[in-house]
Amino acid sequence: MFALRRWWTRHALKAGMVTLAISSAWLMRADEGAVIYETYHWLTRPLQPGMSREQQFENSYILELQQRIVELENQNRSLQTLNDYEAATLLDGVRATVIGRGADHWWQHVILNRGSRDNVAAGHVVTGPGGLIGRVVAVSPSTSRVLLISDPTSRVGAKVSRSRAMGVVRGQSNNRVVMEFFEKLPDVKAGDVIVTSSYSRLFPQDIPIGRIESIDLTKSPAPEAVIQLSSPLSILEWAIIHPFEPQETVDLPVLPGATPENGVIPESGDGVRP
Amino acid sequence: MSIGVRASSLPLWRQPWMINSLVTVASVLVCMLLLPSRIPGMELLGVAPHWLLIWVVAWSIKRTQWEAALAGLVLGLLQDAMTAPTPTHTLSLIVAGVLTARLQKQRYLQEDIVSVALIVFAMAVIAETVLALQISFDQLLSANSLYPPLGRIWMYHQRVALSSAILSSLWAPALYYPLNRWWDRYAAEP
Repeated sequence: MFALRRWWTRHALKAGMVTLAISSAWLMRADEGAVIYETYHWLTRPLQPGMSREQQFENSYILELQQRIVELENQNRSLQTLNDYEAATLLDGVRATVIGRGADHWWQHVILNRGSRDNVAAGHVVTGPGGLIGRVVAVSPSTSRVLLISDPTSRVGAKVSRSRAMGVVRGQSNNRVVMEFFEKLPDVKAGDVIVTSSYSRLFPQDIPIGRIESIDLTKSPAPEAVIQLSSPLSILEWAIIHPFEPQETVDLPVLPGATPENGVIPESGDGVRP
Repeated sequence: MSIGVRASSLPLWRQPWMINSLVTVASVLVCMLLLPSRIPGMELLGVAPHWLLIWVVAWSIKRTQWEAALAGLVLGLLQDAMTAPTPTHTLSLIVAGVLTARLQKQRYLQEDIVSVALIVFAMAVIAETVLALQISFDQLLSANSLYPPLGRIWMYHQRVALSSAILSSLWAPALYYPLNRWWDRYAAEP
């Protein structure tokens, strides 16, 4: 007991500081670094670029418009035979400036200067010059963290606009992504436009992603294509955040008897599409 | 580092240990604010210097391995807060800190800027390797892992480890020199 008290009188300050350091670091982690990013936002405020360098993105814009036209033409063709066509659900969003990049080399993140104060929430979809950029994974009052589609852990359901061949787009930490097709012999060729598919639960359909650069049909287990992203992720300066309700609840096991009609889970909000 | 309650006649905010802790915390904060920024000239292949690793090395060079492990744990938690909780950065920073503290510096290396840059170079490679190992284990052990196949992880690891090591070791003196001067002065105070 005496030894304990002597230890305490000698090391109380040290122990207190150690506890304080660990607990505050833990709190910040539970908070997903909101305090740090808020400070970062206010410090870099004078440095945040305006919209002056937009002409640099003109090329990407033209590319995006061309791809949208290709997509629209294809849609039109299929619309003539299809009755229950559903409009793309990309809502108008807020414009945000890129103020930072990932705080680590293994994640492809960007930090935008809009947060929960501008009604941005995790799950919202981010587009920019050139098409799809990623989705919001964390927000603080005035910043949001976006997981780019070039991140290795990012998965986007995608389709070839011309032939409707479906697949999944995986990031590769650079400006090219890989698309894995579901079919063994998909109808694709180099130069085809890739857009998000209607099967994607995290993204609305028909947002341009990029163009096919090369195809490897012999790849096992599924044929793959390398896609050149149309948005310049490495020099991105601004983006648009669109409100979107991801259908993440679809994967949850549903108790028998509690299943509502056509498998739609009522809690998943009004953004639910079949 | 010896923290004792000294000079108790001074008000709290003038006490040396208080000023020292404030300077230390402020330097960590500066490092964290530098992490997401990509200032021109501080970037190589899209990779920026690993400021928290430089801080951990600067802290651990003249301290015991327990203090080094503690710094690694706290800064790792902070970096997890800024990115994602898995794979955790605590492991890589703790390993880097403990290895730095255990290095037989008095035998092989002097405490000059060049040897600090060398230590940072090695520790940056080790820290990235620990992260890559964690990702590889996740890829091997969990059935629905989101990570790419092993070959691609290690290809990416080569690129990241090399550019992070080069940049971090080049920028290490910028952080090590003022921090070390401050801690030396604090330790020398009566």
